Amino acid sequence: MIHVKLPTDLTLAAFATVGVVVGLILLVRGFTGYRAARRISGTSTSRISALAVGEVLVSGAAEPLELTLVSPLQSAPCLYYRSRVREASDGDGRDIFTEERAVGFRVRDDSGAVRVFPRGARFDVPNLFDGTSGSWDGAPPGLMPRVGSAFGPGSDRESQIAALTTVRDPGGDPWGHYRTPGAPAVLAYSGSVLAAGSGRRHYEEARIDPGEVVTVIGRVLPFSELDDPASANLLDGSSDPASDPEIAADLAEAREAGILADSPTEAWGNAAIEGFGIGHPVRSPVLDPEATPPPPPDPALAARAAATFDIAPGDLVIAASDEVPLIISLGAPATAAARHQLQFVIGLLGAVLSIGSAMALALLLDGTIP
Amino acid sequence: MSLPVLAAAFAVGTVIAIVAFLIAATYNDVIALSRRIDKAWANIEVSLQQRHDQLPALVDAVRGLMTFERDVLTEVTEARAAFSRSDPIPTQAATSEATSRALRSLFATVERYPEIKSAGNVLSLQEEIERLEAMIADRRELYNDQIYRYNARIGQVPAIFLASMFGWRPRPFFDAEPAAGVRPAGL
Repeated sequence: MIHVKLPTDLTLAAFATVGVVVGLILLVRGFTGYRAARRISGTSTSRISALAVGEVLVSGAAEPLELTLVSPLQSAPCLYYRSRVREASDGDGRDIFTEERAVGFRVRDDSGAVRVFPRGARFDVPNLFDGTSGSWDGAPPGLMPRVGSAFGPGSDRESQIAALTTVRDPGGDPWGHYRTPGAPAVLAYSGSVLAAGSGRRHYEEARIDPGEVVTVIGRVLPFSELDDPASANLLDGSSDPASDPEIAADLAEAREAGILADSPTEAWGNAAIEGFGIGHPVRSPVLDPEATPPPPPDPALAARAAATFDIAPGDLVIAASDEVPLIISLGAPATAAARHQLQFVIGLLGAVLSIGSAMALALLLDGTIP
Repeated sequence: MSLPVLAAAFAVGTVIAIVAFLIAATYNDVIALSRRIDKAWANIEVSLQQRHDQLPALVDAVRGLMTFERDVLTEVTEARAAFSRSDPIPTQAATSEATSRALRSLFATVERYPEIKSAGNVLSLQEEIERLEAMIADRRELYNDQIYRYNARIGQVPAIFLASMFGWRPRPFFDAEPAAGVRPAGL
């Protein structure tokens, strides 16, 4: 039989309960960090020129391919981002914006390069931007909300020149219209989902920028063995706008008015086939026999397209699999392992906190501490 | 049972959970390391076998043209004949090193015969074997690094306490000359 005496001041008991729970959460996170640290420190770094099929660890500079991303909070070109905005004005700390995206990229060491397909990856990237706005002092320094598309041009010179020299409507322009520092903190995402709030907001953004050193642990396989290259080339952790009732109603209205086609296939034809631009379409295109045959491609243009998109079936790539989870960490292997080890140490401190809080709670409820 | 006793039980349970996790994680780590070593070795064997398969073609391609350099060809042929996948790893490492040395001599000799070097099949075979040589070197480095990590791990706490229980022993490097790593007497 356990006798519980409710303490007169419940604040201490509440703190102790929170301490137990937080400590246990930190401990579980610490276990995850320990396993990740051991996995990194237990795997030798392979030279990319000597890769063989199976689990590998490679480390090198991350290079963009066909596409880059534009980060939502700082408008920086990148290969991966994880952004979050929390509103803390009403004390509940709710997330008002979260988005995580990655595009396929290449890792290059001094012996060669290998393509990484990020779908299913777990990213270990610390926050690069961390700021809080107040009711009075405006946006935190460095906040430059993205205006336009989340996707940008790839690494090749022609794409970048084309992006720079194309004049577009500022309302829908993905390029060249970043906000200037000090501009009002309005995030024009999906039609002003995030307008400037009156309360405190906390902004966090983690990124992998082109050229940064990354460590990748994953499975090497021939490109031809990837089930769905188009899908594997993109990690999209953003919320689906179509699930928003207001947006869904707008879409339905546009379809009824005949402004919007019912399906991507109806709107774009063969260009809507998944994998169309990456070398492995999931089905054959439907050809119109009466269509005028296209003129022979310009050799220079054809060579550029081949260099950008064509991946030979036997080329080795890195991707996630059921047996070998894909981990992409920012920094060299030693840096990434040290980050995970720190997480384990924090987890052990969490265990101490949890035990201490449990003892304090027991003494409070037992009446030993008045 | 009083609340302080329950709290003490919680504390003990937490510590036991941490210790159990460390033991299980260490066991899994060592097994994973062992598997990675096996895989690294299998990859070396593939490259060794590919080089082994290429050698007869190379020897045949240059044999008719190198009438005065029989010793070099004999050295390559003997090194190839010594290769056996069932040999212990140090023996295979020594054989591999002997083969590499013989091939370096052969390629240096070929440099003195422009008519052989310019032959299309000799050139392509030379390039392929040089590619395989580079791959063997890279994979050997990876294997030895993996061995180092395994040997270091089983010598550390807490794996050292589990090593005798599970029969974990240090594994040999892919090294042709183990004596080269020994410090000379007097230093």
